[in-house]
Amino acid sequence: MKLNERSVAHYALSDSPADHMGFLRTWGSPGTPPTPSGTGRRYWFVLKGNLLFSFESRKGRVPLSLVVLEGCTVELAEAPVPEEFAFAICFDAPGVHPHLLAAEGPAAQEAWVKALSRASFGYMRLVVRELESQLQDARQSLALQHHSSWKPTASCCKPQARNNRSVVLENGHPLSKDCSPVGLVEEAGSRCAGLGLAERELQGPASLLLGRGQSPVSPETSNFSTLHDWYGQEIMKLQQHWQQRAQGRQPECEEQDKP
Amino acid sequence: MRYNEKELQALSRQPAEMAAELGMRGPKKGSGESGPGRETGSGVRRRLVKLVVNFLFYFRTDEAEPVGALLLERCRVTREEPGTFSISFVEDPERKYHFECSSEEQCQEWMEALRRASYEFMRRSLIFYRNEIQKVTGKDPLEQFGISEEARFQLSGLQA
Repeated sequence: MKLNERSVAHYALSDSPADHMGFLRTWGSPGTPPTPSGTGRRYWFVLKGNLLFSFESRKGRVPLSLVVLEGCTVELAEAPVPEEFAFAICFDAPGVHPHLLAAEGPAAQEAWVKALSRASFGYMRLVVRELESQLQDARQSLALQHHSSWKPTASCCKPQARNNRSVVLENGHPLSKDCSPVGLVEEAGSRCAGLGLAERELQGPASLLLGRGQSPVSPETSNFSTLHDWYGQEIMKLQQHWQQRAQGRQPECEEQDKP
Repeated sequence: MRYNEKELQALSRQPAEMAAELGMRGPKKGSGESGPGRETGSGVRRRLVKLVVNFLFYFRTDEAEPVGALLLERCRVTREEPGTFSISFVEDPERKYHFECSSEEQCQEWMEALRRASYEFMRRSLIFYRNEIQKVTGKDPLEQFGISEEARFQLSGLQA
């Protein structure tokens, strides 16, 4: 079977994050039954996603082997020879031999077994879907809170906006600065008066998107820049709105602090 | 690089995200042009193309074992002529695998699916959602699973 080996090797060596790495002893090579004799050979193993690579050494530039971690389970193994800290990657498919590996100590063994058990694409996909639905729920309940508590009042508020750059959400948790689209909102928002207003109104579009059945949270590059642009436009509109009001009459103030 | 073909074969039999018969053309052999009007690459072949996790398998339409597999990490999916897209890889973007679909719709569907079909894409999604949930709720959603310290889920894992 052909495989795009050059690209696979490139991925192995790329600076995308490795999920685990370390020295392991191995018996036999992928595709051959393990020969339970001797102490095995020691290689540098790198786990990336659902792929386990081995290298001659830490600085190896060419992966020696690849194990695809799908449809397998990882178990502590009865070592061949009295070998401690061994574990095996066992495949459901018939005729596919288990990979026998041994770590250098009990902590390493445990860490490897955990890392390899969670390496499958399916596991990652489950966690992503779970978080996606949690985020949708969290945003919807936040949007509902905002809409139900919206009360325009004429009470005075502090004329200057917070001069630090943090924006406070209704539930009192500060947004942290990072490279997400909401980070962009925060920077522009801090220059205007009525921070609370800005940030509440901006929840509106998010819930609108959710309402239309689109997810605003797909982190493909194109969607990030779409979100950036879109939040950017919202901010500009709000800025214009405030400027007009400031020129016109007394600004309406929103209560900034809510329980 | 040694790998167990049987592992990949077993994987190719798993339920597919997408599967269809498409026209497939591999990259031109050798580098650069070989002469005016001469196509040194393979012609278009009908293949059963199957997307399973982050691998794209392709079969001769009457065979049970795949002819080949493409790992989809760091791949680039590009629209070519109408109804056609190509897959290439970051380290050699001109070396393209072409796929001819039976409709624009099918082409669009495949392109969308392939763009999301990498482990790295899922990792970015997860990190993004985790971060967003943390901002909205103040809580780390991975704590409930007991995996908040796992290397694969850290914010520092976001790379260009």
